[in-house]
Amino acid sequence: MEFWGRMLQAFLSGLGRRGGTRGWAFSSWRPHRPLPGLLNATELVSHWTAIFEKRGIPEAQASSEYIVAHVLGAKTFQSLRPVLWTQPLTPWQLQCIQELSSCRLQRMPVQYILGEWDFQGLSLKMAPPVFIPRPETEGLVEWVLEEVAQRPHAVGAQGGPLILEVGCGSGAISLSLLSQLPQSRVIAVDKGEDAICLTRENAQRLQLQDRIRIVPLDVTSEGSWAHLLPWGPMDLVVSNPPYVFHQDMEQLAPEILSYEDPAALDGGEEGMDIITHILALAPRLLKDSGSIFLEVDPRHPELVGGWLQSRPDLSLDLVAVRKDFCGRSRFLHIQRSGPQRGCPADAWPGPQAARVPG
Amino acid sequence: MKCSGLREGSDLNAEMSRHLCVWLFRHPPLHGHHQCHTRRFSYQCTQTHLDTSLLVFRRNRNRILHHLLNKNWSRRYCHQDTSMLWKHKALQKYMEDLNKEYQTLDQCLQHISVNQGDQRSLNRRHAELAPLVTIYQEIQEAEQTIEELESMCKSLNKQDEKQLQELALEERQTIAQKINMLYSELFQSLVPKEKYDKNDVILEVTSGRTTGGDICQQFTREIFDMYQNYSSYKHWKFELLNYTPADYGGLHHAAARISGDSVYKHLKYEGGIHRVQRIPEVGLSSRMQRIHTGTMSVIVLPQPDEVDVKVDPKDLRIDTFRAKGAGGQHVNTTDSAVRLVHVPTGLIVECQQERSQLKNKEIALRVLRARLYQQTIEKDRCQQQSARKLQVGTRAQSERIRTYNFTQDRVTDHRIAYEVRDIKEFLCGEKCLDQLIQRLLQSADEEAIIEFLDENLKSAK
Repeated sequence: MEFWGRMLQAFLSGLGRRGGTRGWAFSSWRPHRPLPGLLNATELVSHWTAIFEKRGIPEAQASSEYIVAHVLGAKTFQSLRPVLWTQPLTPWQLQCIQELSSCRLQRMPVQYILGEWDFQGLSLKMAPPVFIPRPETEGLVEWVLEEVAQRPHAVGAQGGPLILEVGCGSGAISLSLLSQLPQSRVIAVDKGEDAICLTRENAQRLQLQDRIRIVPLDVTSEGSWAHLLPWGPMDLVVSNPPYVFHQDMEQLAPEILSYEDPAALDGGEEGMDIITHILALAPRLLKDSGSIFLEVDPRHPELVGGWLQSRPDLSLDLVAVRKDFCGRSRFLHIQRSGPQRGCPADAWPGPQAARVPG
Repeated sequence: MKCSGLREGSDLNAEMSRHLCVWLFRHPPLHGHHQCHTRRFSYQCTQTHLDTSLLVFRRNRNRILHHLLNKNWSRRYCHQDTSMLWKHKALQKYMEDLNKEYQTLDQCLQHISVNQGDQRSLNRRHAELAPLVTIYQEIQEAEQTIEELESMCKSLNKQDEKQLQELALEERQTIAQKINMLYSELFQSLVPKEKYDKNDVILEVTSGRTTGGDICQQFTREIFDMYQNYSSYKHWKFELLNYTPADYGGLHHAAARISGDSVYKHLKYEGGIHRVQRIPEVGLSSRMQRIHTGTMSVIVLPQPDEVDVKVDPKDLRIDTFRAKGAGGQHVNTTDSAVRLVHVPTGLIVECQQERSQLKNKEIALRVLRARLYQQTIEKDRCQQQSARKLQVGTRAQSERIRTYNFTQDRVTDHRIAYEVRDIKEFLCGEKCLDQLIQRLLQSADEEAIIEFLDENLKSAK
């Protein structure tokens, strides 16, 4: 009895001595710690997956994997070092995961939650409400790259093609083209101030700012094209314009509707509003036999073809339609077939540049 | 080299050094002359003896090889092994033959009577044989020198000649080393070159599905870690392509791309079934100290260059995990996983390493290409070596190659009867593993030479 008494006393006093610091440590993180006993990455993923599923959050497992991987410093759960799968997480990491996951419960897109996403192998900063690049659009960029590789004659005076992107958003298309075409130069325009800032920031992060001009511009406003004249005739116009039919807008998922800029999505009654504006201004900016590459809705190839036939004055031909990885007609290649009326290409850029103010 | 050695011996008297110098300088021309004579004498005899002796050799091949290898791993002297194989008559005869052919060619080419077309092919063969013959002659000369040094040593018995004798012995050792070097050089040029040795690889591990599931998965992880460590030991780049963990820190399946200097050459014999014998760390068997046996398999695929395997895009079906709905701007997805199906072969590759779907597709295509490449290689091999079964080289990747016995703390490679103590050290993937891999490579080379001589005999008949 006496022995046990002494043991108990020693035990208690030992605990008492360290009690101060430990008590402090507990108080600092325990209130934030969501799940006592859930300590490693794999367990957290399945825990949050279950919660997301119960609350009807789409892509429950992918979402929780991305969040956990992000907090542990990896891009995907698959690429996380296997050691980290079963290692206990720090209280700080647990708290981060907790906070990011509650954003997801509010239907915030994962790309905004992480603040970054990948496009064509580039990591880009993402911030609401700037449109999040879709994986389909990687196919548009691939097509442009193929065409540029096949047509070395369509190359500008300075060695690489001069490209105009309308509606640059986060800068995904422009920056991936710049990074894969080292001789190219890009003029990126967008009417949204947020998009302009984000494209600029991404260009700087990727050290591509020297070959890109980022111009705030609304292509639907009268005579806007004139502001682009000083940069010289373009080899290519690329765009992923807003093309969602207006009546489809309300059926979009909450992730899109409540977080992304509707102006980047809503293409008007037939989704053609911005597309027609781009097609109308392109001939004034393109070189002879310059090309336009567009991402559109699967109903658009026919609509655009018909519209172009009604506007022979534009001298534009729909030369090819390409499908996305799901087999939907998604991309258009439109080519300028003749010299632009009243705007001969060899008049560039001198006299007209002089006319442009600023 | 020889003379500088002499100068260093400062206390040698002048007479002695003159004696040795004269001997050394007079030797080479004498030696060459002597060689020519023997060659002419033996020419007729060897031709008839060659076939029978090779036949005998072939019949005893396995026994001889086994004998050689057993000696090898107990002694672990690399050069010793090579010279032992070299001493074998079949190889000697083969080299003598080549030498003769070379001399005949030499004479033919000096006569003008040969026509243009013939001359070109003779020239080609001449150039082919030249390096081999040069090494062969160097070896013979060096052996001759040793013989003469030995006989000289025997005659130098008197006390006052002791220093000279020591010098001669030293010289003998230097030449012996040179011979060893020449042997391995010759050996290397004789071994048929493997087409894929320089390629990078894709290494896949899969846990076995025997009753001891847990120990299989634990073992799979240990082996995968071992190759990861070996890659850094060899300064290779190790990229994880796929990792499917099991419970309790085990591993179901994983794949990695390993790139660097001659990766396939070193890892090609690692493919196969690896067996483990151990007492599980948890559960009833652990308490009862019962030994479980489990397995895992390693597949090593040489990574092809783009030109080696052409994949027609029409043959590919690409499943991405968003086939339904309107797509494009209508949907915001983060699922970037890609499944690639190669329709003609039914091969399926999946990848979700990257956030970009396009990048995942690129990786999957790379893996697919490697798998298709492997199929062509195996087809090649089947054709080349028909029904022949060698100890190392042609083993299919489905055979058991190695056992890791934890209770006895021992690793055994069944192909060359090689044993290592200290499993823990072995699983570190450093020196121990490297030594075993070197031994496997060497054994495979020896097999290849025997195979080669064998084929040679067959075609000569």
